Amino acid sequence: MTRSEHPPTGERFVAFDLNDTDREQAGLHGHTIEELSDYLDRGRTPADPSIDDSPECEIALRSLERLRRVQLNLLDSDLSRESARDDSWVSSILDNISREAHRGREIPLAHPSPTARLVVTEGAVRGILRETGDRMANIIVGRCVLVGDVEVPGMPVTVQVDVTIFQGENIPMMADRLRQLMFAALQQYTELVVAAIDITVRDLYVEPDAAAAPKGE
Amino acid sequence: MPTTAREQITSPLDMASDQTLADRAADGDLRAFEVLVRRYGALMRVYATRVLGSNDETDDVVQESFITAWQQLRTLEDGSAVKSWLMRIVSRKSIDRLRARRPHINIDDMDAPAPESHAPHVLAEVESQTEALSRVLAALPEDQRRCWTLRELAEYSYGDIAAEVDLPVSTVRGLLARARKTLLREMEEWR
Repeated sequence: MTRSEHPPTGERFVAFDLNDTDREQAGLHGHTIEELSDYLDRGRTPADPSIDDSPECEIALRSLERLRRVQLNLLDSDLSRESARDDSWVSSILDNISREAHRGREIPLAHPSPTARLVVTEGAVRGILRETGDRMANIIVGRCVLVGDVEVPGMPVTVQVDVTIFQGENIPMMADRLRQLMFAALQQYTELVVAAIDITVRDLYVEPDAAAAPKGE
Repeated sequence: MPTTAREQITSPLDMASDQTLADRAADGDLRAFEVLVRRYGALMRVYATRVLGSNDETDDVVQESFITAWQQLRTLEDGSAVKSWLMRIVSRKSIDRLRARRPHINIDDMDAPAPESHAPHVLAEVESQTEALSRVLAALPEDQRRCWTLRELAEYSYGDIAAEVDLPVSTVRGLLARARKTLLREMEEWR
């Protein structure tokens, strides 16, 4: 494809050929666009004088950088367009996922009738544990694991809980409070014999704008 | 931390880390999953649209991706890696769509002619650079566009791209080089 309608200028960069590596290298001081692109990826280090000192390479590098800027702008505008969409796509995803996927094991509950079988699912128990944590301020409950043979009544079970606590809170006090509330909730809704509730503080949450200036709007 | 979207009612979960959200979602917490959908859904939509070359099937692909994610979250060992895990899922689903579109063509072997500038130069001048890039990307051969998108939007390494599209690294490098050269050459027309 010729571009003869454009007068050649110093800025013009047509030094490569899509199909001919020799021509590409001839126009780029022995280098290829691929090499130059990798060189940019490495932040132009270690410095390569055969690239840095070549005006042809410099023009090509500037073009590659310009392409990158346009790519970033394109991604930004794509993202802001997608973020501005209404929420119907979120609802349609949530409506289409199966709530059955995370039931887990079945935990038996006693029932006066010998023919009735009553169970609560492990997933429901994890939900109870999360809800308990969510009712407390400044703590976020993460993963909840029931360790032990929950399917056999009377077997001792250990509960492992990951939490994030907001910075500034008294960690041992928060953990104790959560442990008590979870214990009470398990007593209320299940017949699990809880040997221990182990709470691991995985993270401290730091308010992002605590020090920063308040945002507009 | 990614910024959260517009006028959502702030709940503590909006502030939760990817790890916490992924862990809770794996435990069956739909609200945590919803925060993940909002946090990464837009990027996944952008990504799928670019790979597919149009947005006709974006809704379906992203929805399928999240359904798969929900079902398989328990297999994700490290919840803090949930973003790249989601990008991998949407990447596979998009590639599956491409293959399904042309069952009779092996897209790995496809080498479409270099895209022509459809728009007259007058039009190119009023078109913004991002619009122009968007148009040229859509006109790239599928295998090049796939590699480019994995590299530039999903930030995959060359090795990861090769594994993803099941081609040798050298082929991936070649495809990316061709894509870049085409983009550079077309870009010269935008000035």
